[in-house]
Amino acid sequence: MTVLTTERCCKRCRNAQSARSLMAEVHIIGQIIGATGFPQNSLFCKWGIHTGGAWRLLSGLKEGQTQVDMPQIGDMAYWSHPIDLHYTTKGLQGWPKLHLQVWHQDSFGRCQLYGYGYCHVPSSPGQHRLQCATWRPLGSWQDQLAQIFVGGGPQLRTPDLIYSGADRYRLHTVAMGTVELELGVILRHFDRYGVET
Amino acid sequence: MAVEEEDPGETLRRSLKAKHMKRKKKLFKEMVLESPPDEENEETAVQEERGEGLQRDDSSPVRSPRDLPPRPVIRPGSSQSETSMKQRVAEKLRAAKSKTASLLEQESIIEPVSRLQSLRDRETLTRFDRDIDQDLRVDEDSSFAARLKFRGAARSAARDKRAEDGLPTAEEAYNFFTFNFDPEPQDKSRKQRQSRRREAEEEGEAESENEEEEEEEEKEEVETEREYEGQQLETRDEDAPLVSDVEEDLFVIGQSEHDFLEVRRAEYLGYSRRLQRERETVFVPSMRTVPASGKLPENVRPRYLEEEGLYVGERPSVSLTNRNILENRILKQAEGREWFGDDGRIMALPDPIKESSSRPPLFHLEDELDPALHTVYRKALKSKHANRYIAAMGDPQTDYQLDVDVSGLIFSHHPLFSREHVLGARLAQLYDQHLTGKQKKLTHLLTDKLNGLRNTIRNMLELHRGEALSQVTQHRIAEYKQEVRHTRHLRDVEQEKDRALLKNIIRVWKELKTLRDFQRFTNTPYKLFIRREMVDMDQDELEFNNEIVMEVSELRAEAEEDYQRKMSEYRRRHEDWKSWRRKQKALKKKQKKKRQQEDEDEDEESEEELGEEPEKHDSPEKPDMTAVEEQVREKATRIRRKPGEPVLIPELTVSGPVTPNEQCPRAEFARREDVAKRSLFIKVLYNDKEVSRTDSRTLNMDFRVHFGQIFNLKIVNWPESIKLQIFESVGSSSSQLAEVCVPVPESSVLTGSAPSEEMEFSSNQRVTFNHEGVGSGVPFSFEADGTNMQTLLTSGKLSCCVSWAVGMNDVPLAPPSNHPVGGVYSGLMQMDAIACIGASSLNDMKKLGKWAAESRLDPNDPNNASIMQLLSVVSGGEMAVPEYFRLEQLQEEFNFLSDEELQRSRRFRLLMLRSQEVPEFRHFKCVPSVEREISEKVFQEYERRIKEGEIIDTKDHIDAHRALVARYLQRVRESVINRFLIAKHHFILSDVVSEDEVPSIGVLGLNLFKLAEPKRPLKPLRKERKKVTAQNLSDGDIKLLVNIIRGYDIPIRRPYTSKPPVSARSARPFTEQFTAPVSSQTPVQGSDWPLGQPLIRPFVEVSFQRSVLQTSTAEGPNPCWNEEIVLPFSAPNGDYCSTSLQSFKDEVFINLFDELLYDVVEDERERGNTIHTRIERHWLGSIKIPFSTIYLQSRIDGTFKVSTPPVLLGYSKERSLGSDGGYDAIRSLSDGTFLSLFITIEPQLVPGETIREKMKEVKFDSQELERLLTACEVFEKEAGRCFSDRPCLTTVIDMNGKTVFVTRFIRPLNPPQKLLDAFPNSPQDTMELVARYVSLIPSLPDSVSFARVCDLWSTCDQFLTLLAGDEEEHAVLLCNYFLFMGKKAWLIIGTAIPEGPTVYVLTYEQSRYLIWNPSTGQHYGQYDIFCPLQTIGCLINTDNVWFNMQPYAAPVRMSFDVSRPKLWKPFFSRAFPDPGLSSVQVRTTRTNDSSFIVQNYPSHWY
Repeated sequence: MTVLTTERCCKRCRNAQSARSLMAEVHIIGQIIGATGFPQNSLFCKWGIHTGGAWRLLSGLKEGQTQVDMPQIGDMAYWSHPIDLHYTTKGLQGWPKLHLQVWHQDSFGRCQLYGYGYCHVPSSPGQHRLQCATWRPLGSWQDQLAQIFVGGGPQLRTPDLIYSGADRYRLHTVAMGTVELELGVILRHFDRYGVET
Repeated sequence: MAVEEEDPGETLRRSLKAKHMKRKKKLFKEMVLESPPDEENEETAVQEERGEGLQRDDSSPVRSPRDLPPRPVIRPGSSQSETSMKQRVAEKLRAAKSKTASLLEQESIIEPVSRLQSLRDRETLTRFDRDIDQDLRVDEDSSFAARLKFRGAARSAARDKRAEDGLPTAEEAYNFFTFNFDPEPQDKSRKQRQSRRREAEEEGEAESENEEEEEEEEKEEVETEREYEGQQLETRDEDAPLVSDVEEDLFVIGQSEHDFLEVRRAEYLGYSRRLQRERETVFVPSMRTVPASGKLPENVRPRYLEEEGLYVGERPSVSLTNRNILENRILKQAEGREWFGDDGRIMALPDPIKESSSRPPLFHLEDELDPALHTVYRKALKSKHANRYIAAMGDPQTDYQLDVDVSGLIFSHHPLFSREHVLGARLAQLYDQHLTGKQKKLTHLLTDKLNGLRNTIRNMLELHRGEALSQVTQHRIAEYKQEVRHTRHLRDVEQEKDRALLKNIIRVWKELKTLRDFQRFTNTPYKLFIRREMVDMDQDELEFNNEIVMEVSELRAEAEEDYQRKMSEYRRRHEDWKSWRRKQKALKKKQKKKRQQEDEDEDEESEEELGEEPEKHDSPEKPDMTAVEEQVREKATRIRRKPGEPVLIPELTVSGPVTPNEQCPRAEFARREDVAKRSLFIKVLYNDKEVSRTDSRTLNMDFRVHFGQIFNLKIVNWPESIKLQIFESVGSSSSQLAEVCVPVPESSVLTGSAPSEEMEFSSNQRVTFNHEGVGSGVPFSFEADGTNMQTLLTSGKLSCCVSWAVGMNDVPLAPPSNHPVGGVYSGLMQMDAIACIGASSLNDMKKLGKWAAESRLDPNDPNNASIMQLLSVVSGGEMAVPEYFRLEQLQEEFNFLSDEELQRSRRFRLLMLRSQEVPEFRHFKCVPSVEREISEKVFQEYERRIKEGEIIDTKDHIDAHRALVARYLQRVRESVINRFLIAKHHFILSDVVSEDEVPSIGVLGLNLFKLAEPKRPLKPLRKERKKVTAQNLSDGDIKLLVNIIRGYDIPIRRPYTSKPPVSARSARPFTEQFTAPVSSQTPVQGSDWPLGQPLIRPFVEVSFQRSVLQTSTAEGPNPCWNEEIVLPFSAPNGDYCSTSLQSFKDEVFINLFDELLYDVVEDERERGNTIHTRIERHWLGSIKIPFSTIYLQSRIDGTFKVSTPPVLLGYSKERSLGSDGGYDAIRSLSDGTFLSLFITIEPQLVPGETIREKMKEVKFDSQELERLLTACEVFEKEAGRCFSDRPCLTTVIDMNGKTVFVTRFIRPLNPPQKLLDAFPNSPQDTMELVARYVSLIPSLPDSVSFARVCDLWSTCDQFLTLLAGDEEEHAVLLCNYFLFMGKKAWLIIGTAIPEGPTVYVLTYEQSRYLIWNPSTGQHYGQYDIFCPLQTIGCLINTDNVWFNMQPYAAPVRMSFDVSRPKLWKPFFSRAFPDPGLSSVQVRTTRTNDSSFIVQNYPSHWY
């Protein structure tokens, strides 16, 4: 995707005004396939899509939670959770980001956090296979000890941090598994506003 | 080879050497020292030799002359060197043998004797010198063993010769396999041999031994040779072709498998042997220290670098043994020495491990870290309540705590009150009021305010004296005056109240005193003193008069003003009138000129022309000033203290003596006993769960209970309700008196600062006693004659306080306040700023200022001072702050287009509305992708609806009342729908996982049985079809099947009695062509028609969704069609989901027609060869069946009444005379026309059952006891399990959205008196009239769009107010009316056709049951087969609910005797008794309703 030069852009904009009904739309259709590489594999995932202020959700759910999958064969937990969103936008800022939280449900039915992850929704149209790596805050040694014995674990006070670019480098984290996603992106009328796709 | 390996050889050699030496020494000694023993010694030696010779005797050919001399053995495989050596050995052997033979020959003479002798001699000899003997014996033993061996070897050697011939003996074979030969390696023995040779050369003695060894060697050689041979043999075997030899035999049957197989024992290698073998192949380096010399090159001294002063790092530490092993191993290798350094140690680098860790530690102070990066440790939690937690995203580590302080309870009425207590309580209450009034000093305040206002007005007027008042001042004065009027009014009211209160207090006190006198004992300690406070007479009078004067003047001024205004108004109107008059006159003149007509007419006409005549107003009366004064005075005396009258101040004390128990009469004593028995406790319920309860406290004589307990509730869930339940216990049983809901405190309400609140409670229990206690809910009287009855209900005040706890460090343990708090404050809106705009928006200065302006905040009131100050401060600096804050500053620059344009997009709007599930757009499947394809019209309806929400459209409705009702219902319905929509998004397992049942063995068995079933059974049963889920359907897939079976009792044509005999146009019924002449001549009745003639030719036409189909024509009044009509079905918008199908409002119309054929042949002559008829269809009646009923019931089967017009011209219901009595009997029960139908949908659709189940999961609030609700759930579940098709109903949802137990709706209510009076003598007619009356109330289904998902029940009062309701409301009202009339009546919950699940009424009368349809007013007998009621699920009356447990649910086949628990399962039984539920119905319904209905619905008649 390239943003055209200003002159062309303006021309396009004028065109756009002439046909003002043609507004940029984005369809995000796909699924959260599953997760691998986690220490244990009775997992579920909470997901959400964060957009900037210029975006407006036309239909679909922008956040949700998958079922708990306990794979009996293999390491990968499969969710195949559908994502179907339809956005319209008046600007490019705040392109949709997908943020994920992978949770583990233990044998007592308790849930604990296993990883945070985040990735941009691809901006080029077509089918994309994404792998979103996840991480988990480590916490102090007391926390780690408690986690070994009684479960639970450190969580972010403000989960916005997953997708907001604050200085996360101070956090001590542990790498967790990856979440696999398959997203199809359909763009419409972006070329009218000087965005070549 | 190894060093160790050498050792035993060496030792052996050494020992042998030593032996020889010894023997030699011995020999020398013996020879030297003694001569006689020498002989003997020789003897022994000879013996030895002889022994050898003896041994050799049997085998060796040397000895016997017959044997062949030994010849050299040359074998083909042996090498040349070997043979040569063997030859040499053999020669030697021969030489030795000859030698010994000669020796033997020398001594052979003494041989036979000496042998035994020598043995004996030796014995003796040994006795002589012992020290030698031991040695000797040992030697002999060894030699003996050697000899034995030798003998064996010799024998084997002898046998060898035979073996060469190819025949080993059995013994040999055995020895070969079993003997344990010493595994002496060849070269070792060679070495031995060499060394021995050397020795032999050295000493030249002991040849014999050498010989022995030679022998041994030979034997070994033989052995190796044999082994070799064996190998050869084996190889030969392997080389030989397997099959070629055996080929002939292989397939010969005679050979068994034993010929090919052999059994072998398991191979086992002995442990020691294995060790030995391993030792052969494995090298184990020794752990001994290697001497330094071994490690360094020769003649090099170790050199130590440290000693030379060079730095040598510390070597990594290795254990000594490991190092030794390594050194030993390295040394074995070629160039092993290279690994060693100059110091004789293995070369090594210094230890690489550093002492301290090189990774720098991460230091960060906690405060440095970005607060956003803080992590929280969270326990692993169950997610069950996750969404209901107070702070879903916030930190759960802070816990919230509610403190519930239950301090006490005061009864204002209790069933155990005596009459005196009642009065006492009243007195106390009045006194309380008095005290609070006094504390507030409202009267005083208002008076002050009034005076202040008056002063202000006066001051203003004085200030502007003589000058013209400015506009502003005038306005203000007017405002002040208004205020004065208002305040005065308030003050008057207040004063009146005060006075009335005082009067009441005194009256009650007097009553109390008389009562005490009457009953001659005292129960309450109340005592009232009235203090008189004398006042200054003159002063008082002055003030009084002043006040009156002021008021009068004000009133006068007001009246004057009023008069002025009215006058001006009058003048204006008068002017109008005058001008009109003038015009009229002018007109009149004109008209006079024109026409000559009467004056009045002209007047009227002119009126018509000029419009209506303006009223001619009378000039307003001048107000009567004197009357005003009188009024004021009169009022003053009424509400105010008279001047000079002393001020009365009542004082209530509780110090009076109470009569002790002994002096009381028995009834009173019993009451006090009863009081003492009672105790009270309070349960604290949080979110409808009991969290704690107080201790039980006994009830005191003064009916005050002090608890004083504080409960700390640590809460996780958001508080929804906090309830306190007051329980009274007598003995061990306890009952709930009342329930008090405490509002959830705002988060700013904290413990310590929160005031204790008094919550009033009351209970509508009915309690009566046989002692002095007045009871509760029962009327009683203070008078002796029983007049002036009073009914008091148990009530009182609970003083409690709920607040948020304050934790350590004074942190309030309250959740953040941004949660919406329901309208706790509603009434005080105007008075309280916080209530008006909410506590949270107190920071919003604008709002506050606005509120202050609106509510006319008194700036001088000290209560408002702080707010005023705040406002004045804020209003100054407000302008400087910009009014907006932009989050994304640069967004604007990069926007493609503006918000408005986005807003304008119709397509986006449509998409969003669809995803919000707005009813109009919910079913849109496809939204066009191009904007221009969406017309503006799409939104018109939606927008209109939105607008209509605001405006009441009175045109569509009969009057405003109905419009209001409709709006109210609409709102109720919307809230229900919203709940439903929420419920729809809660998925239950069956929504997500659809799992077909796996066929089990049982099913398989059943299927096998099915094979044996007849293909076409005599009595076919309808099978359950497979249900189709709605999602994968499209248009044309679904068909509606209507099977019309037969009709009953269709009206027949009436013969044309009054018809002219021959019609002018000769058009006559075709079917009557033969009978017409007859009938025209003789006026006969229909019954006279000849039998067999078609009286009627009916056919049925079914129309549904624009498709109309009809059956063929049958004949007669009871025709039989038995035809199936298939109608296509297409859903609205192509949406086949269950919700849209349920809300689908189309109906199936089934019309009954009579087909008439008219002969229209004009010419009689043509009759012969042309037929020209006209077919006429005469409509007889119709049936309407809503599609939703068919959908929900999946099939409809039964006989239905055809709704026919009351009068069918030309048709009559004639009974055929010939019909038999049995059939007639059934028909006589019900008159009407019937059709037997079977309707279903093909394929069968799954009705939206899941939605209803989900709705059950949505819990509604309830005031019922928890126990009752669970019992209901259990009852319904059990009912559903036994008979899933029978509806069971125990709880319903009322108009407020609360769950109510159903029997609460039943209560005798009086019908309008007019109806009861109509037929005083015929109760049957009265009942019918009442039913008719009820059925006239318009029917309005609960929610069309969600048919029967959620029934709302309204009480009869609400029903009559709303004048709309569905079947339930009609049935409840009818049932209640019947109960009032003294009938036995029940509600029937069942299914009927075509309504589906519905409610009917059952009455019992003169030993027969009648079923009433409340919506139509019709009634059916129990045995009426045409009764629309198909199934009866349960019966309900005031006391109980009964569920039908009988095998049949059709009313015809069942018994209505509810006293038999086997047939009817009661809800309240002995195990679970009726807790005494009170009714929700209002006691009396308004009686003017009937006239209301009659007035407003003139279209109905009765």
